[in-house]
Amino acid sequence: MDWFGLLFGPNGWSRLLLEGLAVTVGLALATIPFGFGFGLLLAILKLSKRRVVRGLCEAYTTFFRGIPDILALFIVYFGLNALLDRIWVALQFEGHLEMNIFVAGVIALSTVVAAYSSEVWVAALKSVAEGQREAAFALGLDRRKTFVFVTWPQLIRVALPGLGNIWMVLLKDTSLVSTLGLVDLLRAAHEANKNTGRPIFFFTVAALIYFAFSILSSVVQARLEKRANRGFA
Amino acid sequence: MLQTLQDLASFVFNVDLLRQYGWRLLEGLRITALVVCTSVTIGFVLAYFVCRARMSKNVVLSSAAAFYSTFFRGTPLLCLLYLVYYGAGELRPVLSQIGIWWFFRDAYYCCIFIFSINTSAYQSEILRGALAAVPKGQIEAAASLGLSRYRIDRHIVWPQAFLLALRPLGNELVSMIKASALAAIVTLLDLFGQTRFIFARTFDFSVYLYAALIYLVIVEIIRRLWAVMERGLSRHVLASAKS
Amino acid sequence: MGRTILFALSLIGLTSAFGTASAKEWTTVRFGMDASYAPFESVDSSGNIVGFEVDYAKVLCAKMKLTCTFQNQDWDGIMPSLLADKFDVIFSSMNITPARKEKVLFSDMYYATPIVFAGQASNKSDDVSPEALKGKVIGTQSSTIHANYLDKFYKDSDIKLYPTQDEPNLDLANGRLDYVMGDGLVEEDFIEKKGNGCCRVIAEIKRVPEIHGPGVGAAFRPSDTDLRDMFNKAIAEADADGSYAKIEAQYFKKDIRGK
Repeated sequence: MDWFGLLFGPNGWSRLLLEGLAVTVGLALATIPFGFGFGLLLAILKLSKRRVVRGLCEAYTTFFRGIPDILALFIVYFGLNALLDRIWVALQFEGHLEMNIFVAGVIALSTVVAAYSSEVWVAALKSVAEGQREAAFALGLDRRKTFVFVTWPQLIRVALPGLGNIWMVLLKDTSLVSTLGLVDLLRAAHEANKNTGRPIFFFTVAALIYFAFSILSSVVQARLEKRANRGFA
Repeated sequence: MLQTLQDLASFVFNVDLLRQYGWRLLEGLRITALVVCTSVTIGFVLAYFVCRARMSKNVVLSSAAAFYSTFFRGTPLLCLLYLVYYGAGELRPVLSQIGIWWFFRDAYYCCIFIFSINTSAYQSEILRGALAAVPKGQIEAAASLGLSRYRIDRHIVWPQAFLLALRPLGNELVSMIKASALAAIVTLLDLFGQTRFIFARTFDFSVYLYAALIYLVIVEIIRRLWAVMERGLSRHVLASAKS
Repeated sequence: MGRTILFALSLIGLTSAFGTASAKEWTTVRFGMDASYAPFESVDSSGNIVGFEVDYAKVLCAKMKLTCTFQNQDWDGIMPSLLADKFDVIFSSMNITPARKEKVLFSDMYYATPIVFAGQASNKSDDVSPEALKGKVIGTQSSTIHANYLDKFYKDSDIKLYPTQDEPNLDLANGRLDYVMGDGLVEEDFIEKKGNGCCRVIAEIKRVPEIHGPGVGAAFRPSDTDLRDMFNKAIAEADADGSYAKIEAQYFKKDIRGK
């Protein structure tokens, strides 16, 4: 097995694999604010008093949790593209709307992550007693301060395990964008395989890298949970 | 304005397509059902053994089982699928010699193989969690009554554990239904595979929406079924809670 | 709330009053290719797209005095991506078929190659009729003329479709497939460079006009007639001054220009 040569030789694939890894990690990190953030927004809306708002959010969540992630990616990728383009043209702006494939990947992944995480956020929001907010108001804290100092610490403590699980799913789901043409780690391994005919080597390397990241994520999650739980019995 | 709305409606739904290709979607659904049922069942059996290994006193066995479940939950299924599918091709001479090339030659068997392993990793964790959640006091009480280890497991621990595991196992089944779509990437014409085939012919976006609808219906049926099962199996718990 | 909506709608109405369709000045052209089709286009170990069509495209761009960029796009999504404006031209060995002409605009044909069945080296028979291949496993790329051809004429065979042309070739090499249908030069390139003696080209099949078309052309959005005309002019110029022949000679032993 010419490991060294395959990776680092004159035609070595290590560079493409590293670039793929950068894309994978980049996708996952970029999805955090949009996916989890949008999920929190959805959760807040789900607790709204208006039935229509609740119904729409429930429908969104049910849809994206009930279909395969890869199908959701395809729908968002092709559908969003086509829809936005039609809107752009209907508004008669110059030329066409172009969406960078990385951005498209982030949007697609965020759509799915938002649906999954909204369930976690709802449970967390419900667990923060209403009384706390009222007490904070009574003490003179405005809405922003209440959220930052009272609601959020308790919220994140309950939500962290669930969000951690979703992060793991997200790490693995980034491999699905390889089917859309974005060159992530898995796609890089696949290209290397197609060119060299050594699937076992390259896919094992890719699998081990993903595994390493999932272990790293577990460690980080444990640390974060410990920190979020300080001050609680 | 009306024209735009009409355009949007016809953009989203296309009945002609269903008439021409609907049979393909149903055929794909059949394959998906076959793949999922087979994988989940084999996975459950595997999970039982992995779970036993994990809880055994033998350090080698329990660490091997721990590594198994962590590894197969921590790597993307698509990556593992490629590894098995193309890797088997690379190992063809060896596999032929042992006489199992016929198995890995077929995309269907490759999928079943790796899907079963993947779901067994998740199911073994579910079973482990459920077993741990059975109150220790029950086991001690049973032991003090003189029941053998086997009887304790069979009549006290496992029935309760199974009830606790029911909801997560149902979630895992739904998870597997969704993950099975990956089989399409290695030429298997399951529901998602047929969807891609139809899209390649027609370039009509609505086929993806039809597929989504079918998946949603299946998942909803499973959820309802599971709720009925849960209610049925925990009648005794609910009854005592009421009284 | 209602007032905000009204305001937004009137803004949209105003902008649409200002929109005018002006003829586009082409300075940059984005090429979309499925770079899994050596020797026409493939990805090298640095991640660059290389191949015959890349070199040819660069020549055409020089003649049209345009800047060219190249994007890798999976074949299944290459037409929707063109229509959704991800790039401006498909330059990826796309055959000019009547079905495709309904959706996109084609340039003049710029090459035509034989379509072949490749098979196992151990397969001594040259018979590739549907009866002979009954029950055999044949692989090819999905969304291609080959897939359509097999679907129409080889109904008794087990047809497997793959996202790229590389993959059925790999599966032919490891024995999963009995036959692969594909472009003659692509198959020869694979057998020569990566086959390791596994396979051979079995037979060529005759092009069926409605399914295969006459040959390969560049595809554009239906509205980009000006770009298409520029390409046709450049293609004619490349023929006339020999630059096409020069690139062709670097890659192929036979003439593939077709007419």
